[in-house]
Amino acid sequence: MKFKINRDHFSNGLAQVLNVVGSKATMPILSNVLIEAEKDYISLTTTNLDLGIRCKIKAEVKEGGSVTLPVKRLATIVRELPNVDVSFDATPNHQVKLTSGGSTFRIMGIGKEEFPPLPEFGDDKSFTLEQAELTSMLKSVSYAQSSDETRYILNGVYFNFRDGKLSLVATDGRRLALISKELEVPADSAGSIILPAKTVSELTRMLDKGEKLKIAFNDRRASFQISTDKDSSGLVDSIYLYSKVVEGNYPNYQQVIPKETHQRIKLERELFLQCVHRAALVTSEKSNSVKIKLTSNLLEITAQSPDFGEAHESMAIAYSGPDLQVAFNPAFVLDPLKALTKDEIFFELKDEVSPGVFKTLESFICVIMPVRLS
Amino acid sequence: MSAGLPFIVHLDADAFFVSVELALRPELRGKKVAVGGRERGIIASASYEARACGVYTPMPTVRALAVCPDLILLPHVGKYGEVSRQMFDLCETLTPWVQRNSIDEGYLDLKPCGLKSTAEIEAVVRGLQARIWDALQIPVSMGIATNKLVAQIASKLRKPRGFVVVAPGDEAAFLAPLDIGKLPGVGTKTEAALQARGLRTVGDVLALNDREAEAVFGRDWRGMQALARGEDDRPVETEHEDAKSYSQQETFATDIAAFAEIERVAKRMIDDLLPKIREDGKRARTLTVKVRYGDFTQESAGRSLPEASDLEMPFYPLVTPLLRQAWTQRRPLRLVSVKFSGIEAGPRQLDLFSEDAEKRRKLAAVLDKLNGRGAVVKHGHQLDGKG
Repeated sequence: MKFKINRDHFSNGLAQVLNVVGSKATMPILSNVLIEAEKDYISLTTTNLDLGIRCKIKAEVKEGGSVTLPVKRLATIVRELPNVDVSFDATPNHQVKLTSGGSTFRIMGIGKEEFPPLPEFGDDKSFTLEQAELTSMLKSVSYAQSSDETRYILNGVYFNFRDGKLSLVATDGRRLALISKELEVPADSAGSIILPAKTVSELTRMLDKGEKLKIAFNDRRASFQISTDKDSSGLVDSIYLYSKVVEGNYPNYQQVIPKETHQRIKLERELFLQCVHRAALVTSEKSNSVKIKLTSNLLEITAQSPDFGEAHESMAIAYSGPDLQVAFNPAFVLDPLKALTKDEIFFELKDEVSPGVFKTLESFICVIMPVRLS
Repeated sequence: MSAGLPFIVHLDADAFFVSVELALRPELRGKKVAVGGRERGIIASASYEARACGVYTPMPTVRALAVCPDLILLPHVGKYGEVSRQMFDLCETLTPWVQRNSIDEGYLDLKPCGLKSTAEIEAVVRGLQARIWDALQIPVSMGIATNKLVAQIASKLRKPRGFVVVAPGDEAAFLAPLDIGKLPGVGTKTEAALQARGLRTVGDVLALNDREAEAVFGRDWRGMQALARGEDDRPVETEHEDAKSYSQQETFATDIAAFAEIERVAKRMIDDLLPKIREDGKRARTLTVKVRYGDFTQESAGRSLPEASDLEMPFYPLVTPLLRQAWTQRRPLRLVSVKFSGIEAGPRQLDLFSEDAEKRRKLAAVLDKLNGRGAVVKHGHQLDGKG
């Protein structure tokens, strides 16, 4: 195998696949990237068996072939090469010679035979979405995923294609974020998957390369074909992402979304975000809550920790309901405020043991459970 | 100037459980008396007359009766907790700085009392010793020194009704002739090992040069030498330390082999302990089950919930697997115990999907209230079997 490639294109390609490596101890080849050269491009593939990524980079291929190399080290070396022109030359015994300017590296590779194949993009249920839109939807909910491994069902984002819309949901059992968009869903394509957290984070990283993406899924797997038409760093065709899904039943999230609105206030998102953020500066791991108090046209935010001190913030709002007070984990308040981009949001409250609900004029809802003091 | 006075008092009730019982039955004073379970129990406390016959605590009752056949065995009757509280309340009339260490011993710091000489300190402590006897008929021993370590060793030196004052500066000289086993942390095994190396008294520790001391005591040899010199700067802590665990155990009248029966006992302990945890406004994360066989060998197993709880429900499913894990030998059990640890307090994050838990919490509060008023509302699993 022999090809010439632009250093920055090669580096960009390796950066796409770099995060997906398996445990070195169990299967050493999972720390490697599979490099295959054909026609006028090379394809780069990594997998950890749960998630696989493949991208294609344009290259001047002189002789087709394949080899696998340790991806982290290779990416570091390529990034540091002195000259933009890089030539890559692999011998049949998997030794690779990398030349750039006055630098030459000889790297020991492993043959392709041991590299686990990625599943084929099959005839599953499939939908085409806008990359920018999916990015913003994922960002609106992904912070609410659980990282508690004992609640593995919640370690991901739930995609629900049904009733003429796509809904994304994430929850850690104490808060839940939901966003929907209208989408034509043919009856036989309706379905849902729980996309694992790691896949969500890789997917989010890739969704700025082009216009559209195609998602296909069945009960066990999901795949994403991400077009790279906006990329100018050597990516060609699409990036392909193949992931296992979290198998199991996602909790019935509809039942925890309050049906009635009790007290609703309109807030300037940025201002409220800053107030809560400042108040939270005095909280500690042991006393991790901010109190939100509503009185006539006034919102007060207080926080304290016994060994440090206290903070008090106030905001003028339009409010004429009964006085009420409720405490929340500050991160639960801040996360949706940070993820949203709208200037104004609605916050609905009832009492100190009922959930608080953030809403925007789009179909976004974030339900957060309070902290019960005393 | 006054900082040099011996302000720290260690109060140690003499044979506390027996003394409480004798206060109710003074005619038994001077006799060989012990408090403990009769059939399979252990001696919890023995009078000094009984101790002279070789009865010690904790000793299986059967053995105690063998070494001292005329031992008068009293059942647990007295209100130990109540008497203990009254005893420490009397201490607090003297100084606000009282550390209740356990039911029968604690420390007093007399610094806030404005006493100007060792003689004045002695006088007020003797007065306290007398008041405790007059009011409660509980004999106590007092150790007075400049720190907790020395005061504690002093109080135990001349029991019962001991009264030992160690003058400031005399700490090392006071400790030097004492058996090395009097030092905290030196148990019988360590004591025997040290004696084998020629270390019999506390003074022997200080006679070693640095290299010898390091060879004997390892890395912590400096700490050991400080102990031997009677150095200690721990303050008397007046705050009651919050409970770090809640536990209960039961010794059976006859060894039990039936899994279901043991399981029921363990669950009943859970039912007994959680109302206390709720009453204290706490939550627990970890449940540990311990089993003890007839020959006193024991095993235990524990497991933690992802989140602390104050409800019975999340802990019940742990009982069976933990018992299986701990009870590995196919032999009947003498004792089973249940311990809750990983105790948390304070604000509680509410859950989205746990409306049930909130309902259970309300129900538990109602049941706790009813049971507190003398009603008996039990969980179903306590009803089947012979209970």
